[in-house]
Amino acid sequence: MPSTTIYLAPPRRALEAPPAVATGDLARLFGRGAALVDVSIEIEAGRCIALTGPNGAGKTTLLRVLATILRPTYGIARVDGIDVAAEPHLVRERVAFLSHATGLYADLTAAENLAFAATMLGLSQAEGRDRVPEVLDAVGLRAAAGARVGTFSAGMRRRLALARTILGRPSLVLLDEPHAALDPDGMALVDRLLAGWREVGVTTLVASHQLQRIAAVADGSVALAGGIVTEVTGDGVVDRSATRNRARFPEPSPTLQGAVAP
Amino acid sequence: MARDLEVALAVARKDALAELRGRHATGTTIFFAAIVLLLFGFALGPDARRLEEAAPGLMWLAIVFAGLLAVGRLHETETEDDALEQLALFPVARHALYLGKALAGFAAMLVLGVALLPLVALLYRVDLLAAWLPLGLTLVLGTAGFAAVATAYAALTMRMQAREVLLPLLVLPVVAPLLLAAVKATTAALAGDPFGELASWLQLLAGFDVLMVIAGAVTYRFGLED
Repeated sequence: MPSTTIYLAPPRRALEAPPAVATGDLARLFGRGAALVDVSIEIEAGRCIALTGPNGAGKTTLLRVLATILRPTYGIARVDGIDVAAEPHLVRERVAFLSHATGLYADLTAAENLAFAATMLGLSQAEGRDRVPEVLDAVGLRAAAGARVGTFSAGMRRRLALARTILGRPSLVLLDEPHAALDPDGMALVDRLLAGWREVGVTTLVASHQLQRIAAVADGSVALAGGIVTEVTGDGVVDRSATRNRARFPEPSPTLQGAVAP
Repeated sequence: MARDLEVALAVARKDALAELRGRHATGTTIFFAAIVLLLFGFALGPDARRLEEAAPGLMWLAIVFAGLLAVGRLHETETEDDALEQLALFPVARHALYLGKALAGFAAMLVLGVALLPLVALLYRVDLLAAWLPLGLTLVLGTAGFAAVATAYAALTMRMQAREVLLPLLVLPVVAPLLLAAVKATTAALAGDPFGELASWLQLLAGFDVLMVIAGAVTYRFGLED
């Protein structure tokens, strides 16, 4: 497991700090279709929460709203008490997001990609010089530091994108299918990173179909179907719209119930 | 301010590095511009006087056409593997990202312009060395203004399907005053500025550049955000 010293300490939180994630009647429409409907959840800081559900359930849309890529159509979404629509620049200082695409530059080397990200994340030059080899080591890409990303396999690209998420000081890490394209060693790496983030108090919200894997590290889970929260289980997460949505959506969906400690 | 400058330089350096390795923006566009110049020459015929008179306009048309390709390619590297989304997620000012991309576009176009000058001299029998200073100044101001406009529109169109068609449609009408001023300044510079109009055209170019950089810096976020 990577040492927890690999993580930069997230910003300090006050004792009476707001939830790491809070949404209220959050809805996101694409044309006439709704990707999210009345999502009202709260996630405690420092928790690892799994986001489950079938394809098209709204998992990615929820992550993208929290990452400030998409604006809510209705309702509110807050990260550390900050409104993602009103003050996205402040939210971006707190959030690291791994999406389906890795967002890397094929003509740059692995080290150059991370050095660029370090500058953009506001790390000093000295910090960046120290951090880049450290995080490359943590994801098993130290030997490939000088190789161009264009020559990387999909799994290596994924590892490098994971390295970028541990480069800065996020208080919330959003991971969309982090196990995708990874070999068994890579999947184990994701599990170790998730455990490490929890250890240093970083909140993680992970959309995944790897239910068994994610159950081993997650404190709780939020199940979505058709853009609606259908079930919330475990610790660290509360569904403020539970009664309303369960009445509307009675069929159970894949969740971590039974696998996650109650 | 210092942070914005740091971000802008990091973006420009990243683009320059990718360009040096991949030659996406300058490699093919230089050849494209050279062929455009050659074809214009064929179209005008062997009349030396005619070629000399047309040289400034044709040179700038070649730079504008090739520049559109170059700036478009610089932004295409951001759409591969959705790097643009990651760029938008960094906690940095949008105008700093714009300045970085515009700086990279300006550098690519300047290289393009400098590479085309000897060809213009050769094909159109123009003595460029005699007026190298005003010509250089015109080239710098003209390409800077063009990069400022093209970068702003490239961000707005880069997620669109028909971006290759839309970009010229949006950019060319806006850069018409710049094209006019650059051609007039180049003509005046090559003729030795007989009517003392060069300074006015250069001032117009500089004013256009400032306006377009401000407009681009303000509007760039619309291309990045939802």
